[in-house]
Amino acid sequence: MRMKLEVKGIRKSFGDKEVLHGIDFHVESGKALGLLGRNGAGKTTTIRILMDVFHANSGEILLDGKRFVPAKHRIGYLPEERGLYPKRTVIDQMIYLACLRGMNPKEAKESAKKWLSRLEVSEYETRKLETLSKGNQQKVQLAATLVSNPEIIILDEPFSGLDPVNSQILKDVVNELIADNRIVIFSSHQMSYVEEFCDEIAIINQGEVVLAGRLRDIKKEYGKNRLMLAAENLSLEELTDRTQRKWADLVSVSDRKKDFLILELKEGANRKGVMAALAASDVEVERFGSYEPSLNDIFVLKVGEEE
Amino acid sequence: MKGFGIVLKYELKEYFTNKVFMGLTVALVVLGAAALFLPRFVDMSGFTGVQVAGGDKESGEKEVREGDRPLFLYVDEPGVVQPEVLQEMFPEVDWKEAGDADALRASVEAQDAEAGFVVTGPTQYEYYVFNKAMTDHNTSVFEQAMKLFYRMQYSRTKGWDLGEITAMYDVPITVTEQILNKDSGSNYWYCYVLVIIVFMLIVYYGQMIAVSVTSEKSNRAIEVLVTSTSPNSLLFGKVIAGAIGGVFQMGVILAAILLSYQVNRQQWGGMLDMFLHVPAEVLVSFAFFGLGGYLFYAFLFGAMGALVSKTEDISKSVSGLLVVVMGVYFFSLLQLMNIDGPVIRILSFLPISSYSTMFARVAMGSVAVWEIVVSFLILAASIAGTGILGAKLYRMGTLRYGNPIKIGAALKDLRKND
Repeated sequence: MRMKLEVKGIRKSFGDKEVLHGIDFHVESGKALGLLGRNGAGKTTTIRILMDVFHANSGEILLDGKRFVPAKHRIGYLPEERGLYPKRTVIDQMIYLACLRGMNPKEAKESAKKWLSRLEVSEYETRKLETLSKGNQQKVQLAATLVSNPEIIILDEPFSGLDPVNSQILKDVVNELIADNRIVIFSSHQMSYVEEFCDEIAIINQGEVVLAGRLRDIKKEYGKNRLMLAAENLSLEELTDRTQRKWADLVSVSDRKKDFLILELKEGANRKGVMAALAASDVEVERFGSYEPSLNDIFVLKVGEEE
Repeated sequence: MKGFGIVLKYELKEYFTNKVFMGLTVALVVLGAAALFLPRFVDMSGFTGVQVAGGDKESGEKEVREGDRPLFLYVDEPGVVQPEVLQEMFPEVDWKEAGDADALRASVEAQDAEAGFVVTGPTQYEYYVFNKAMTDHNTSVFEQAMKLFYRMQYSRTKGWDLGEITAMYDVPITVTEQILNKDSGSNYWYCYVLVIIVFMLIVYYGQMIAVSVTSEKSNRAIEVLVTSTSPNSLLFGKVIAGAIGGVFQMGVILAAILLSYQVNRQQWGGMLDMFLHVPAEVLVSFAFFGLGGYLFYAFLFGAMGALVSKTEDISKSVSGLLVVVMGVYFFSLLQLMNIDGPVIRILSFLPISSYSTMFARVAMGSVAVWEIVVSFLILAASIAGTGILGAKLYRMGTLRYGNPIKIGAALKDLRKND
């Protein structure tokens, strides 16, 4: 069954200071939403309101059009501030958390073993958490998030502390969850992961959603009328100079990346015209095509300076 | 309430699988019971006044005769000393007359004799001892002997019969007490002990509960927990588990001590009755009011634990609460002397103090049944109130990290949010 989770006009104040000024986004099952923003933008507060840890001053959260009550659903939440019981055994606390989220002890034990095995930390199940390496503790935390087989999964910086091998395991798990029709909300500063998993994004800046929608559409919109160009016989400086001198009526240089230029088509100009101009010149074209901005570019453009 | 049951079970498991907790319980049970069984196996008749069952009195006396009994010397300058009286009054020592004061002093100094008495007149004497122990009562006994010598000599010169005069002065009086209600004298000491026990229970386990709550904040498990079940379930589960753990430990130790004493009461000659022979109705009122008071404070300790983020800050957070607990403790003990006074009557209805004062009134004073019922209802309502308030403070404090939150500011925030 498909579900739709909608966050509508959430406002939240701490004392006299309003920190969320009307947050809106939505996500459907079988899809992942990337919740992005700088530190202190309001992502964690939004998630805590979603989890009913904080109460919003106004706004609503709906699941399939009805008020969303977290206690009535199985939710897997991996908070940014990781924490379990360091002095208790891995399996004990996983069973405990699964039972708290509605499983019976038998189901909880089976599920705990399944997720520990899936995340390749079965061998540590009877060990105290504090005796594990940081990476393995992180995997146990992830297993604890997923132990109740949640229908809604909220992952706040899930890749922090994982090496490339463990990151790959987690990527596979997240892809399986999405394929299994779960709702996944994914908060991270690592844009490459967000691009990999998320169909939708919502960028929060200073308590407001400054950009939201389908990532593909956003990229298309931000790449509209933009071209990329690199030459084999000219450096980027020389190519910039040549473009500004000879083709100023067709394009302008909007940005320079490490090994190509980003050009913006001028009004009335088109790709064909630029291609013809290039063909008529002595420029040996190395790369030419439509430019699709990375999520990082869009984020920086929208939010301001680099993280 | 399902969450509460799961939290309670998990927290209880932590107590009962904790090696230190269980080890301490077993150690104290064994130590307490062993101490009370001691008179069955060791001759403590000197202390208890009761001969161990099957013990051989003659062999005991023989041991004393053959052992190295201390030697006491005396010099009798006025000629008043009766050696047989001295021997009777100091049965555990050997007496010998020294040649003169110098010889006596030299013997004591050389530690050939343990002590020496130089009688210089009918009402004067000098006492010689090398090192005087704190428990040295020789002078007071010798003084009694000197008084007796004086009376004997005086009676002789007057021609009186000292035996007759003494019998007239010390005529034995027989009394049969008919206590119609409470015997405060004999109830005082176990009340005193029980007040101390509840106080220890509140302070020790209350702080354990506060630490348990704070450590979930400091290890950041709290965010996972409060998003997995309700804060009410978490706080109530934790506090009730702490209460059960504490009552179990204290109950088992107390039961072992009381039962061991009951079994060995005869061997002790009833000498510990004032501490350990507690009437059933007092134990029942202690169980209700002691437990109630403990729960009342346990919720507050749990809430105080939620107001700080680091375990090292707990002492700051609970200090105000400890002042109240200690104030009540000292005031209750002072008021035991005036058990039917107006102050203890008022204290026995206040939830902060009824846990100790009401059962003390039940044990020692005059208290009507309605007073007990009303006091307990007030306490029960207050426990529910502190439980709800504690859960609210806990919920508010759980995700507020950083500096400790002052209780005044926390209550203000709660009022604002309500």
